[in-house]
Amino acid sequence: MQLIAKLGILADAAKYDASCASSGAPKRSSRGRDGLGATDGMGICHSYTPDGRCVSLLKVLLTNFCLYDCQYCVNRRSSNVPRARFTPEEVVRLTLDFYRRNCISGLFLSSGIIRSADYTMEQLIRVAQLLREQHNFRGYIHLKTIPDADPLLIEQAGRLADRLSVNIELPTEASLQRLAPEKQVRTIRQAMGTIHHGQQAVAGEVNAPRFTPAGQSTQMIVGADATDDHTILGNAESLYQGYGLRRVYYSAFSPIPDSPTSVPLAAPPLLREHRLYQADFLMRGYGYKAGELLGGAGNLALDIDPKLAWALANREVFPLDVNRAEPALLARIPGIGLRSVQRLVALRRERRIRYDDLIQLRCVLDKARPFIVTSDYRPPQSETRSGLLRERLREPQAPVQMGLWG
Amino acid sequence: MIALDCDEHFDTWRDQARVLLGHGIDPTEVVWAHGPVHDLLAVPAVLPQGPGPFRTRVPAALLDQLELAARYRGEQRWNLLYEVLWRVAHGDRTAMLAGDRLGSELQRRIKQVSREAHHLHAFVRFVPLPAALAEQLQLDLVAFHEPAHDILQSASGHFADRLGRQRWLIATPRDGIRFDGSTLDYRRHCPEQWRQWACHADDPGAELWRTYYRHTFNPARVNPDAMRQHMPGRFWRHLPEGPLIARLVGQARQGKQRDGQAQEVGQQGGKRIGRGDSPTR
Repeated sequence: MQLIAKLGILADAAKYDASCASSGAPKRSSRGRDGLGATDGMGICHSYTPDGRCVSLLKVLLTNFCLYDCQYCVNRRSSNVPRARFTPEEVVRLTLDFYRRNCISGLFLSSGIIRSADYTMEQLIRVAQLLREQHNFRGYIHLKTIPDADPLLIEQAGRLADRLSVNIELPTEASLQRLAPEKQVRTIRQAMGTIHHGQQAVAGEVNAPRFTPAGQSTQMIVGADATDDHTILGNAESLYQGYGLRRVYYSAFSPIPDSPTSVPLAAPPLLREHRLYQADFLMRGYGYKAGELLGGAGNLALDIDPKLAWALANREVFPLDVNRAEPALLARIPGIGLRSVQRLVALRRERRIRYDDLIQLRCVLDKARPFIVTSDYRPPQSETRSGLLRERLREPQAPVQMGLWG
Repeated sequence: MIALDCDEHFDTWRDQARVLLGHGIDPTEVVWAHGPVHDLLAVPAVLPQGPGPFRTRVPAALLDQLELAARYRGEQRWNLLYEVLWRVAHGDRTAMLAGDRLGSELQRRIKQVSREAHHLHAFVRFVPLPAALAEQLQLDLVAFHEPAHDILQSASGHFADRLGRQRWLIATPRDGIRFDGSTLDYRRHCPEQWRQWACHADDPGAELWRTYYRHTFNPARVNPDAMRQHMPGRFWRHLPEGPLIARLVGQARQGKQRDGQAQEVGQQGGKRIGRGDSPTR
């Protein structure tokens, strides 16, 4: 099979993995040296596809032959898709060619499970080894980790790659048993533990060889089973805490061709995915706890963002005086982001903050207005009930067409 | 009214501004323009001689910020900088901060400039030259790019870090830059020859990249507005994948968003795997 035909099949097979980040790698440069590639911590999105997602890495599978039969996956063994397999050298050639053209900042390589977990992992490592050692490639490398692979192989991968990821796939053990019978929560978490352990071993040691300097990540599929956002966010929080994960990706389940009846055939729940990312960002960047964002069972509201939802549920905290409140509290005002908080703090060292300043800072005042006090403004709506405020602030929802078969 | 031309050079502007400040000349008394000034009311006056009596110190961070903002192409490019400098020099530091009306415009320009540098790093597409031509021109990769602000000189070092000993050039409608494997050669006016090489390079190898682009796209998630927001349309015509966009959106809208697979893959014969199968090449 020609390289271009393989590329078509194996890129198509890899698109369901959401991660494409190339950020967080240490400073590396090829200036005046043999080889190719640089990283500086900043990710670069080299293109965007018409689904609005960024193309930062060459994201392909080494092969889409797979012995597993995960129901949500287009490459499961019972799926009727064309199959292909790259040689490690072919992946290297594509990576270097695209990199030279400035189309990508590195490689994200994953694979179907062939022969055994160890064999598959060895193949992935082989590609990274060729790139790093034979071609002096200093760009970004993200390798998917096969959960049941030997910990020694995972450690070897961690020394070559900037990022490793093990997909948790489904948020509960029961769903995993039902939809991905060959996978186990226990071995997935073990692999995460191996990576975390490798990171801790070199933490603080300046001269130690690097181990996954851009951290580890995982992905959860949203909407393939009935799990609610409360469970998903709780799970994500425990992963951040337990394994020092850099990112949890949420992937709205896209219907797959030749779909088995065990998974839905509905359009991917994109807005739900968006709200989960917002909530996740609030946990990582703003210090919200999962329990604050969603108190009980159920899903995040779709018509308002989770920060506004928290503010409406906690009116006793507001209105906050922008001239006095602690920065961490300022960041909890809807419509005021972390960057605006920094700028407000810098500005209030010079003089009192007025309502107009918030306009200049491009804060989203429609959202912020009921929750703030400035030197020349008090919210007339501070007495308005949250329910009424919510009616005014909710985002219009596109009408949903009713299903033909109910 | 003093009419000045700094030839779009920050260093020239800084020298002029220092003299003006020293003589206490108000921002409303000066105008910077490129070429002859067409202001009927402007009675041309000359830049005063000598440094002037007014002495002041401004924070070093201000000069860095002014230099960044100077790369912004737009109305009042140099006047705005002098107004900020004037206010900070007279003790009003808020002129640098985003909360202030003037400071907000300054910060917006800085942000646009750094965004444009990022666009350069993201959307430049190099075309590899065939071996014989590369040897003849002493050049491995060429690119044509149209930045909206003057960022080529300051932001191109990035590619020397990425590409090692490769020799490359980037041509734009205004300036150009070339790297010979060890040093950068920046030209304010791009040599016509560079532009010819960059615009007329043959690129049969681009089909691989276009194939990848088509297949990594998930039609079930089609959302062209989000794409446009991150990758403004003005860059599309120099991207090899640019011409594909309209067709991919069209196909997705006409029913292809049922699932995530590209049409070409669905049309090929599939293969279910039995447990005993071993993968072949």
